[in-house]
Amino acid sequence: MALKGKKVIEFAGLAPAPFAGLVLSDNGASVIRVDRPSASTLDVLCRGKRSVAVNSKVPSGRELLKRLIVSSDVLIDPFRPGVMERLGLGPDVFLGKSGLNQRLVYARIVGFPRTSSYKDMAGHDLNYLAMSGVLSMLPGSAHKPNFPLNLLADFAGGGMHCVTKVLLALLERNESDRGQIVDVDMVSGTRYVSASPLIHRSNPATGRFASKRGTNLLDGGAPFYNIYLCRDGGLMTLACIEPPFFGVFIEKFIQALPGHSVLSDEWRDFPALAAQADRKLWPRLKQFLTIGFASRARHEWTDIFFETDACCVPVLTPEEAAQGFGSSDDPVKDISGPCLLNPGQHTKEVLTAELSVTEDEYERLLNDSAIGQC
Amino acid sequence: MALKGIKVVEFAGLAPGPFAGLVLADNGATVVRIDKTSSSSSSDILCRNKRSLAIDSKTQSGVIVLKRLISSSDILIDPFRPGVMERLGLGPAVFLGKDGEVGLNGRLIYARIAGFPRTGSYKDMAGHDINYLALSGILSMLPGSHDRPTFPLNLLADFAGGGLICALGIMLALFERNSSGRGQVVNVDMVSGARYVSSFPLIHALNPSTGTFAGNRGDNLLDGGAPFYSIYSCKDGACMSVGCLEPQFFATFIEHFTKALPSDFKQQSGWVPHSSAQFDRDTWPKLKSFLELGFKTHTRDEWAAVFMNTDSCAVPILTPEEANKKEIPGQFAPLPHPRVLTMSNSDIVPLPINDGTIELSPGKHTLEILRELGFTNDEYQKLIQDGAIEGSGLKSKL
Repeated sequence: MALKGKKVIEFAGLAPAPFAGLVLSDNGASVIRVDRPSASTLDVLCRGKRSVAVNSKVPSGRELLKRLIVSSDVLIDPFRPGVMERLGLGPDVFLGKSGLNQRLVYARIVGFPRTSSYKDMAGHDLNYLAMSGVLSMLPGSAHKPNFPLNLLADFAGGGMHCVTKVLLALLERNESDRGQIVDVDMVSGTRYVSASPLIHRSNPATGRFASKRGTNLLDGGAPFYNIYLCRDGGLMTLACIEPPFFGVFIEKFIQALPGHSVLSDEWRDFPALAAQADRKLWPRLKQFLTIGFASRARHEWTDIFFETDACCVPVLTPEEAAQGFGSSDDPVKDISGPCLLNPGQHTKEVLTAELSVTEDEYERLLNDSAIGQC
Repeated sequence: MALKGIKVVEFAGLAPGPFAGLVLADNGATVVRIDKTSSSSSSDILCRNKRSLAIDSKTQSGVIVLKRLISSSDILIDPFRPGVMERLGLGPAVFLGKDGEVGLNGRLIYARIAGFPRTGSYKDMAGHDINYLALSGILSMLPGSHDRPTFPLNLLADFAGGGLICALGIMLALFERNSSGRGQVVNVDMVSGARYVSSFPLIHALNPSTGTFAGNRGDNLLDGGAPFYSIYSCKDGACMSVGCLEPQFFATFIEHFTKALPSDFKQQSGWVPHSSAQFDRDTWPKLKSFLELGFKTHTRDEWAAVFMNTDSCAVPILTPEEANKKEIPGQFAPLPHPRVLTMSNSDIVPLPINDGTIELSPGKHTLEILRELGFTNDEYQKLIQDGAIEGSGLKSKL
């Protein structure tokens, strides 16, 4: 595993930090999540991690955290700008001139850009998505876009970007023997992962995202890149963008329509194949496909298009997807059981085995309320 | 730049390959995009700082050129369906070796991006982002209309679950290569990639006892079910995002929101939300319509000003143009992200991208690259004769 032997300190936070920690842990790093002693947590991204509960409000707690960080390779800070500094755990303490751990990769994840006027404000994925410009491009109703849960800013733009850059910092460290600060903000991260639609939007000449929201090729405007309802309420996705694929799709689709009950006279002469290239025919094509798909159940359509290049596959529920589709490489399948990592579950283990804290020191920390127990 | 000196060969393909190549280029790698000689143009806009070599991989001499190029490179990005590269004589075994046989480049990181899982029953089928999203299970969870979800363009499978995951895999392999001295194969498929990025909602959906995604699509905390995590239209038709999940933020939001409402609004409605009832689902419909009507009393920018510098978690939804201006005025592509800094430059504001190229003509750098690979002029002319490359019209010489 690429990161075997690497130690990560992940301060407990919401989505992006735990996800970054998860990816590092999945690749062999040993990750310690630092919780507050009184915390309860719903963090499900905790497999492979250990938890230490430390009260950063007392001096001995802060000293303990310093010790933990000094012996680590990567730190993940999920707090608003200034919080770690106020705890005496800012990057300067470790990476500065007389820093305590010059090899540390200090990853900071915030929501709003650190240099923006929003930097001190609370926020969540939906807010960062809003500021990125991307949300305004997403399909939805006539009045507003829909948002894809908290995937784009928290996970793609936050956690994922954080990990890629931490890895690059570790790579550089191999040459320089020095750590660095990795600064992630989820507005910029969302923008970067969305570079393609954003660049197209800035350059209407490309034609890809030149039209109003919901009327472009990839945002529901095209009938052949869309979702259709089947007779049983199941759904099929259609994505035959390339003319040869559309040709394959239309042939099998029409063949499968149960005769005159669906193909009423008005549709008999509809130039379905030619309709792909003619935007004026798109509304009719959409109607045609809507009526057609509604004539059969999802599993029937699935079979009809299986092993063809029609680019037409069913929308699976999470449960169906977890059953697999003949693949042995599923990253989510194996961890369907709830992952419970109680705050402080490994405090004693980590302190005594790894930081060489003595029994006396441990008792003192408990008395100080510097640490909590599970 | 972390990847300075790293050489990447990116076979031209759709979204995920170019994005992975872009991430590598943005971090200092030199990227050569391999185009077909039959391509007169390319719609790839993720091409800044890349070069293009146009070659016919169906000719023997074309394959020889490619083998030479790949042998002297660090990373290869293969965007084709399983088996394509093998049929061209450019599969991983050729470079990484097999069964004790030494390959042409044992240090090569061979990154393969497929849509459907490489070992699944869909592996040979054509597909696009929305199809991969469909099989991942996540599409079924996304908010939309009453009978179907909507999809966020091609961001989740192509880019997050494809290109970005590929870049991540490449970084991991580079990291391991540092100690092992050896390359590896990085296998990406966009169904699995989308699933991994979506671990959080998928794990919750498979464990309804957590409560976070236990309801029907659209009825949960983070998919539009909760009125305090949603989008509202304002008087001018533009929208605000509201995301005050935590009780203290919800209280702050309600305080500022109600204070800003015109006095006659409150009278008409008669009902005022109480922050203590935030998680009382029975009051959600009332809260939702209160917010919907309330937001319509001011324009988006007026509301933005109301919540600015507060912890209400309510900010305006910006258009791409407005968001571009906020990042760096005058620039039209998102800046590479994240930034890596040392203590001495940590306060420096991000520099603009100095290459705003969004078009890379296929074959633009063929001559230059062949020269770098040490091809002689005679070899170059022969390649043209073989049809492996296109001459540039006039008698060009290396």
